[in-house]
Amino acid sequence: MIEPRTRTAPFASGWRNWATDYLGLATALGLLVLIFSLATRHFFSPETFRTLANQIPAAMLVATGMTFVLIVAEIDLSVGSVLGLCGAVVGVALTQWRWPLWAAVLGGLATGVFCGGFNGWVSRRWRLPSFIVTLGMMEMARGGAHAVTKSQTQYIGSTIEGIAGTAVLGLSFPFLLALALVVAAQVILSYGVFGRYMFAVGGNEQAARLSGIDPGPVKLTVFVISGMLVALAAIVDTSRFQAANPNAGMGFELQAIAAVVIGGTSLLGGRGSVVRTLFGVLIIAVLNTGLASVGARDEIKRLVTGAVIIAAVIVDYYRRRLNQRQTS
Amino acid sequence: MSTIIVTVSRRLRCTCVLLALALFAGCKPGNETGPNPTSKPRVALVMKSLANEFFLTMENGAKTHQQAHAADYELLANGIKDELDVSRQIDLVEQMIAQKVDAIVIAPADSKALVPVCKKAQQAGITVVNIDNKFDDTVLAASGVKFPFVGPDNRKGAKAVGDALAAKLKPGDGVIIVEGAPNAFNGMQRKLGFEDAMSAAGMKIISSQSGYWETDKANQVVASLITEHPELKAVLCANDSMALGAVAALRAAGKQTQVLVVGYDNIGAVRQLVREGKILATADQHADRLAVFGIEYALETLKTKSAAADRETPVDLVMAESLPGK
Repeated sequence: MIEPRTRTAPFASGWRNWATDYLGLATALGLLVLIFSLATRHFFSPETFRTLANQIPAAMLVATGMTFVLIVAEIDLSVGSVLGLCGAVVGVALTQWRWPLWAAVLGGLATGVFCGGFNGWVSRRWRLPSFIVTLGMMEMARGGAHAVTKSQTQYIGSTIEGIAGTAVLGLSFPFLLALALVVAAQVILSYGVFGRYMFAVGGNEQAARLSGIDPGPVKLTVFVISGMLVALAAIVDTSRFQAANPNAGMGFELQAIAAVVIGGTSLLGGRGSVVRTLFGVLIIAVLNTGLASVGARDEIKRLVTGAVIIAAVIVDYYRRRLNQRQTS
Repeated sequence: MSTIIVTVSRRLRCTCVLLALALFAGCKPGNETGPNPTSKPRVALVMKSLANEFFLTMENGAKTHQQAHAADYELLANGIKDELDVSRQIDLVEQMIAQKVDAIVIAPADSKALVPVCKKAQQAGITVVNIDNKFDDTVLAASGVKFPFVGPDNRKGAKAVGDALAAKLKPGDGVIIVEGAPNAFNGMQRKLGFEDAMSAAGMKIISSQSGYWETDKANQVVASLITEHPELKAVLCANDSMALGAVAALRAAGKQTQVLVVGYDNIGAVRQLVREGKILATADQHADRLAVFGIEYALETLKTKSAAADRETPVDLVMAESLPGK
């Protein structure tokens, strides 16, 4: 039951595959936008899309890292807590340790890299499932966030405002950065040697090893990348709120996994695309914003969000069958 | 065969040990029965989520109070990790009953599910005092128990915050409410208080949605509604963390000067914003004293054996004028 590897490289297999690859998700997204535009007065407006674009960088960054992790057939449950911890470090560094901004940002990034590296190293060194190790990290990082902040939300103020400032056309710098990183990540996946290694290791670790790829360093690198992207997300959110809350990112891991899975990345590894994950992030974001604009009751919001996640995965199942039929 | 013999003899041995213990205890002078060698009452504080700044402040306040009154009582403080972990809190109360504490001061994670175990505690002769989240009246009546509630009136507090906001608005202005978690009693009370104030002043409530007490969720809700309803004049948030999210949403939309924000709880992080007027008002329930009020009440009850009556604790309105300068 090994699927043909060709489909993992969306840019490489002709415009037709490219279209079938993205058409389903784009249609779903378009449909959601259409529904909400009809149901409200002001949803279909540049402000809505600008607001959306400035809200999602953190989700984009974390989901990109999560896509990498799932492709190598691992999982990272710690992203939400690590986001809280990195934000806490940045906040406390600025408000209490009186660090300059660049040092605080570096400190936050280092924290994320350390957590990711720890996850990767421990699960490799003792051959533990990453599910368990990152579950442990999820608790440790949350505990760390509370320890660093003494459980107090840190108000930073305008010191950190600049990072989330607007760059061009009302789009924020974090959004452009996240977009650039998504593109870079997709290029690595589609054309890079490292991308090929990731698919090989995630698809069949034994086969990868026999063909001379050491899975250890590949997976470790992926966890470090994930940790770093989470740290970036934390910095972006801290700047947006001008405050660091030790409870930030609670449940974020599930939202990130949902976005990745909506994008059709396999939980079993060996298959996935970052651009498709971006569609997953957009679908969830449009859903959240749209339902709030409509003024939907809370229970409805949760029912609809869950149903859309499942529906998106079902649609993806048919898309894959269609693709397989075309190639055979 | 042999196992049965072993079991029997084990049971016999156990019985012997127990008998011996009972005899030994019986022989001892009667003044030292429990693990509590002094006559200081032991008060158990059973808290909600210690991950929440508000509850942590409460617990720390209680610890400081105990240190200052070390001669008067012993404090056993326990909390659950997650505000929704009801079963763990029930376990905690059972452990406290087993430890034979004199009083339990509890902030129930669920206003209904914790009633039976607290009834068990009361039947075991323990004084139970309810703080923070009031037990559900119908469940109390149905199970035939009463526990005194010592705490602030969230509805009154929210009404005061809403009134302060209404003074800055014109009748007919559109406002939105960002609620707490939908199952939280205090969140419901605050929402009702906001509604009381808004309808009394003739404001129009455009929408009322949950922000789950969290900054980023509230931010998302407010950002969506500000685009959908450009006529919006004010945002009422059921806690300060959500008010931070609302302020960020307004800043991103460039509407900080047009739209007013109010919060609740007076956490440290919003003080600067209140001073700058970016948050118009918040309410201080004196989180550091809430648990202390409950403990003091429990100690009084232990001393006087008085009947259980509720006691309301103060809520203060906080605005830029009422804060000390930088």
